[in-house]
Amino acid sequence: MTQTPYYTMIRFLIVTTMLVLANFIARSQDKVTLNGYVKDADNGEELIGVTVYIPELKAGTATNAYGFYSITVPKGTYEIQYSFIGYTIQSATVELKSDVTRNIELAGEAQIINEVEISEKPLDDNVVAVQMSKNTLNISQVKKLPTLFGEVDIIKNVQMLPGVISAGEGTSAFFVRGGGGDQNLILIDEAPIYDASHLGGMVSVFNADVIKESELYKGGIPSRFGGRLSSILEVRTIDGNNKRFGVTAGIGSMASRVMIEAPIKKEKSSFVLSGRTSNLGMYLKAANTDNSINFYDLNGKVNWRANNKNRFFLSAYTGRDKISFSGGDIGFGWGNSTGTFRWNHLFNERLFSNTTLIASNFDYSFEIKDPVQGFKWTSSLQEVSLKNDLTYFINVDNELTFGYHLSGRRFSPATIDPNSDESIFTRTVFDKMYALDHGLYISNQRRISDALTVDLGVRLSIFQNMGPGKVYLYEDPKDNADPTRTDSLQYKSWESIKNYINFEPRLGVRYALTETQSLKFSYNRMVQNTHLIAAGTVPLPFNTWSPSGYYLKPQLADQVALGYFQNLKNNMYEASAEIYYKNSQHVTDFADNAEIQLNKNLTTEYRQGRAWAYGAEFMVNKKEGRLTGMVSYTWSKAQRKIDGVNGGRTYAANYDRRNVVNINAAYELNDKWTFGGSFTYSTGRPTTVPSGKYEYGTYHPDVVTERNGYRLPAFHRLDLSATLNPRKNLNRKWKGQWVFSIYNVYSRKNAFTIYTRTKQDSDGNVIGDGTEKEARMVYLFPFMPSVTYNIKF
Amino acid sequence: MRSTFLTTLYTQRSVRAMYTSLKSTPRVLLFLLLVVLVTACEETVVLKLDNNAPRVVIEGQVTNHASYQYVKVSKSASFYTSGKTPRITDATVTIADDQGNTINFVHNPRNHADSVGYYLPQPSFIGVVGRTYTLTVVAEGQTYTAQDKLNPITTIEKLEYRIDEDEEADPEDPGRFYEVLMYVKEPKETRDYYLFKTFRNDSLTLDSDTDIYYADDELVGENIDGFPLPVFFSMNDKARAEVFSLSREAYIFYRDLDKLLNNDGGMFDQPAAEPRTNLSNGALGLFQASAVTSSEIRVGE
Repeated sequence: MTQTPYYTMIRFLIVTTMLVLANFIARSQDKVTLNGYVKDADNGEELIGVTVYIPELKAGTATNAYGFYSITVPKGTYEIQYSFIGYTIQSATVELKSDVTRNIELAGEAQIINEVEISEKPLDDNVVAVQMSKNTLNISQVKKLPTLFGEVDIIKNVQMLPGVISAGEGTSAFFVRGGGGDQNLILIDEAPIYDASHLGGMVSVFNADVIKESELYKGGIPSRFGGRLSSILEVRTIDGNNKRFGVTAGIGSMASRVMIEAPIKKEKSSFVLSGRTSNLGMYLKAANTDNSINFYDLNGKVNWRANNKNRFFLSAYTGRDKISFSGGDIGFGWGNSTGTFRWNHLFNERLFSNTTLIASNFDYSFEIKDPVQGFKWTSSLQEVSLKNDLTYFINVDNELTFGYHLSGRRFSPATIDPNSDESIFTRTVFDKMYALDHGLYISNQRRISDALTVDLGVRLSIFQNMGPGKVYLYEDPKDNADPTRTDSLQYKSWESIKNYINFEPRLGVRYALTETQSLKFSYNRMVQNTHLIAAGTVPLPFNTWSPSGYYLKPQLADQVALGYFQNLKNNMYEASAEIYYKNSQHVTDFADNAEIQLNKNLTTEYRQGRAWAYGAEFMVNKKEGRLTGMVSYTWSKAQRKIDGVNGGRTYAANYDRRNVVNINAAYELNDKWTFGGSFTYSTGRPTTVPSGKYEYGTYHPDVVTERNGYRLPAFHRLDLSATLNPRKNLNRKWKGQWVFSIYNVYSRKNAFTIYTRTKQDSDGNVIGDGTEKEARMVYLFPFMPSVTYNIKF
Repeated sequence: MRSTFLTTLYTQRSVRAMYTSLKSTPRVLLFLLLVVLVTACEETVVLKLDNNAPRVVIEGQVTNHASYQYVKVSKSASFYTSGKTPRITDATVTIADDQGNTINFVHNPRNHADSVGYYLPQPSFIGVVGRTYTLTVVAEGQTYTAQDKLNPITTIEKLEYRIDEDEEADPEDPGRFYEVLMYVKEPKETRDYYLFKTFRNDSLTLDSDTDIYYADDELVGENIDGFPLPVFFSMNDKARAEVFSLSREAYIFYRDLDKLLNNDGGMFDQPAAEPRTNLSNGALGLFQASAVTSSEIRVGE
């Protein structure tokens, strides 16, 4: 791209900003601002997404990710309602003559003493917000639902949301609206997690104890997010009880957990420290094997409220898998570590700023301990980011968000170290890659009339792949069969190898049909400059991330979505129907027959092409009452066409599933028993099967014609759970809880994969003359009960 | 390291399965993980497959070793069939070198029941290092051609045997716990590709029926000392190692074939694809020109 459009765009941004700023200044003097934080009365945790509503004006706002709200209205006396799911609505009459700060504490519904009379129930986010294609996972609801191995897993619940497809059981990969498994940005306290799996996906890295909230954006993605094509999964951790000391612990079939939280200075500062480790070592010891499997997670966070204008958070996460076989002769492992420092600052009543400093590391290694043939192979990715996000609450009808993100990344694809002098291997280091990513965004949300709200934004992504580095030139850069290097280009530190500048417009429109019905439309363009190209259906920790660069172009996606939203029975039910179409360019796949592991010419294995996906999602969500739950149905289609993949012909994406039904429900029978259930059905995923076989030497290879030309059998499964809160809890200081879960109640054999082999009997002896072949279906979890005991005091 | 090199490296039985598929390390590891954790279950299923038109399959080999020259012409069969795949016995097969010599291949001249579909040179000949050979097969009205260069090979310095203690403690086959080590120099100034074959008492032996032992020379040093053969031997067994030089194209074919034979169905592995070949006109298989080096040892002698 030439420089001219880039500068034109910068100028455009500056002009827009100025205009909007001029708009603030021209703000009428008879307007005043009400702002503050909304917290949980019990533990002092800030609440995210609390609706702050003024019935008189039929207008309101919601608390942001830090529990902050600001609303600017004409002077006067108003009734203000604070409402949040699972909490008692609080209503107050406030005389607003000048700017007022009100920090609110909402009490959980169970603690209701005096019911406050509500003149009019505030509208619900589902209908009111411009944001569409977003799902919020309420962690307390998730905890009531069945689990695999007793581990409450946010990712497994994400996989059950409409528009989300999983690759199969026992994986942490998810695919959003026809997007690849690498196209999801997973954030924990704003720091990216590059691989969210433990044990190859059986459990995710998110320890449910410390999760406050998580949200999945599938479309209409706000301009403050960028970097991935398909979705943003934002996970926020709790701040720690700032009223009293508390311990939560649990032991399950898979892992044990403990968490402590306490105020450092009451109401001002608190911390939380949490750890989880797998119990698997125990079983393996009992089974007397010399294999060992372990994982752990550690989360820590400290927060300090210096005053009403300044808050600081320091949070850290580290998690790792360590697996070894044959008494340690073969070992492998992977892990993420992140650290986040955040500073919330109020410049004035209406201008909220959050500055974040992030460091993130992901690495994996594989080791064979042998003097002659031993080696250790390690690969890593580091990221350092600075983000500044600002929100200007101009008035009740006008909100401006803008910010700047800067990320630097270092990719170290592989280092191979021989582990003795006798080793036949020589030390080899694959070239490191460096990238700098700037994101500049601005977005303005305006209520144009009572019915119409528009959010228009744009994000400018400036990406630099830079030195130090070497770019190899090939005789044929598309030759992925052991290519010949002809020359190389050498780049100095900070020298640009390749720059990519992209504009990402974002638009959201909401039109209210009635107070409980609305239509929404959104468009977003997303750009992805960090690529993880998975070989199979499921991305693995062993797949290598790569930046855009000399050969690899940024992936681009344009998505339009249209939705109808309705609340029923006084907001007890939320219903929605959405359709979307997504067109992606330069999506990346490996060429047919690619050599994926430890290939220093990996760039020649990449192919980029087009992907398109469309679908319809229907959902009904019941958030209140004894019975809560969700029913959803998704129809979708995802296809790809990439030169050099499947011979250049169109093929079904690995995660293309036509029909998906998900139902989950929790029923609180009484204060002792809660029951949960979930059912999932989906069309089988496509797979590649033989169309024949032939002989070559002693081998009997399959003839393969069409990639993903065959469907695995349909996938369906029912899980049930029961949670017991013993009655004796009432009289004691600590509270115990039993969670019983059954995974795959009717023991459906869901195909994990199908592969072919020479026909064999159950002992592995070849049947007949070895010319016959057979297809084998692998399935994972049959009827699988688990028990977890939790304790809290 | 082209992990493919590792596919030929073996030491301990316990790690063998992994080496075999190190090209797909993650899959194997995760598979092991699944097995350890949840005992992944398997069962045979019957696929509903369309019947596709059969394809011509050619397997041709020219070497510098006497009596190793042959061309096999057959056809692909439906997935669910038993017995040998159909042979083509009336093809016209010739191999020409770049010196203007052409050799005719005749179908099964000795009329062996086992050699239906095999074409042998008449008169017999030996390939010459450095020459490029062109195969032409005319079968069922179609012409298929391929070219391959006969690359040189170093000689195996020696073989040694020793007891593998882990295997001795728990042998898969009673008495079979000797490993045989190969010593060879790898010339670093050239880019080389190899195919390895191991014979136990003169019969070609694989650790598993889908194993292919091939390698390139990236990431290995010059001295390959004590490179273990992939299978174990008993006392008095005759062990023979053969190393074939491969052209780049042939190496790629074997690499692709290995991926195809050991594919997991696309869960962790890339979906299976047809191996790239030097054969024209959509024929399956490969025409390979190789120099061969071999070495023998009798365990206990």
